[in-house]
Amino acid sequence: MSAHHDDHSHGALQMGHHHVSSSAMFFNVLVALLILTVITVGASRIDFGSANMLIAMAIASIKASLVIAIFMHVKWDTAINRIVFLSSFLFLSLLFIFTLADHATRRWDHEMHTTRTPVDKQWVYKQHEHAGDH
Amino acid sequence: MSHDGHHSVVIPAPGPEFVPHTVAHHFDTPVQEFQAAKLGFWLFLATEILLFGGLFAAYFYFHESYPETFRLGGRQLDWKLGALNTTVLLISSWTMAMGVRSAQTSQKQKTLMYCALTVLGAAIFMVVKFFEYKAKNEHGLIVFSELFHPYDGATGSIPWFKDYHGVMAGVPHGHLFFAIYLTMTAIHGLHVVIGAGLILWVMKGAAKGRFHAGYFLPVDLVGLYWHLVDLIWIFLFPLLYLVP
Repeated sequence: MSAHHDDHSHGALQMGHHHVSSSAMFFNVLVALLILTVITVGASRIDFGSANMLIAMAIASIKASLVIAIFMHVKWDTAINRIVFLSSFLFLSLLFIFTLADHATRRWDHEMHTTRTPVDKQWVYKQHEHAGDH
Repeated sequence: MSHDGHHSVVIPAPGPEFVPHTVAHHFDTPVQEFQAAKLGFWLFLATEILLFGGLFAAYFYFHESYPETFRLGGRQLDWKLGALNTTVLLISSWTMAMGVRSAQTSQKQKTLMYCALTVLGAAIFMVVKFFEYKAKNEHGLIVFSELFHPYDGATGSIPWFKDYHGVMAGVPHGHLFFAIYLTMTAIHGLHVVIGAGLILWVMKGAAKGRFHAGYFLPVDLVGLYWHLVDLIWIFLFPLLYLVP
């Protein structure tokens, strides 16, 4: 393990090069996050109709991006760490897309009388009657 | 020389108030140790995102199903207390970032001070949360003593949902908002408590001088965990207290 001897002789044993953010940058991010919180409350007072959710989530996403990039140092982290963490949001979007697609394409109970059932209603009721016999 | 013939790599202490760090024997270099731990922790945080992601998916599904119920439910919460807790968590996230920075720059007293302020933020958050839960309990919206009593199919009554003032009883699935609210905030609150415990553990090591410019890995990882707690709350606040 000659490499180790070399390291010892140089006396520069550290965990590698790390980005140390300035205190001013951290403070500016805090101020930005607090201002965005005021904007969050302010935006909730205005009715944008169906865009309400989109606007609330957009502001929250900006705040989240600041926390992830600066406070969590992701901006200066290695590519593999960035990919691992940010990919979780990719998989999360798949979860949201398929869940909401299910919601959008589902036939609700209160719509039963307006839409055709895939199974013959008479058959369903007969099954219920049989269940009641026991 | 360790037992397997490898040299133990030691990171020297930068000053008399610090102690050197011995790299675990299964790592060749300090960089390798740092990157391995960091990658593992990012993987863990990814699973945390997916854990809360499932709850957020449930929230969106039910919000889309019963938007008026959710808006009425959100108005039963005190948005001022929610905003206060948001401010507390954001400031605590900043003190944690400063704590990690202090460790990176070998400032022992500052590391301890910023970590202590972060724990104080966690404590304030949980005290506010306690009074919020207490109010919900008094209004019968979440009756904690009957939380695990079984659902009565015959009467269709939900034991933990009494709704003494009757504000939510008349709307379809009135209990649903509070079920989601409790599940999400309780799991988040558990993370706040665990995070505060981890920061206290880091402070114990910091007091012994274990963390400095050469080695600050535990402070860094616990800091990431605390920022995740903040990250989740950034979305919980508008979704629960200011239901869009």
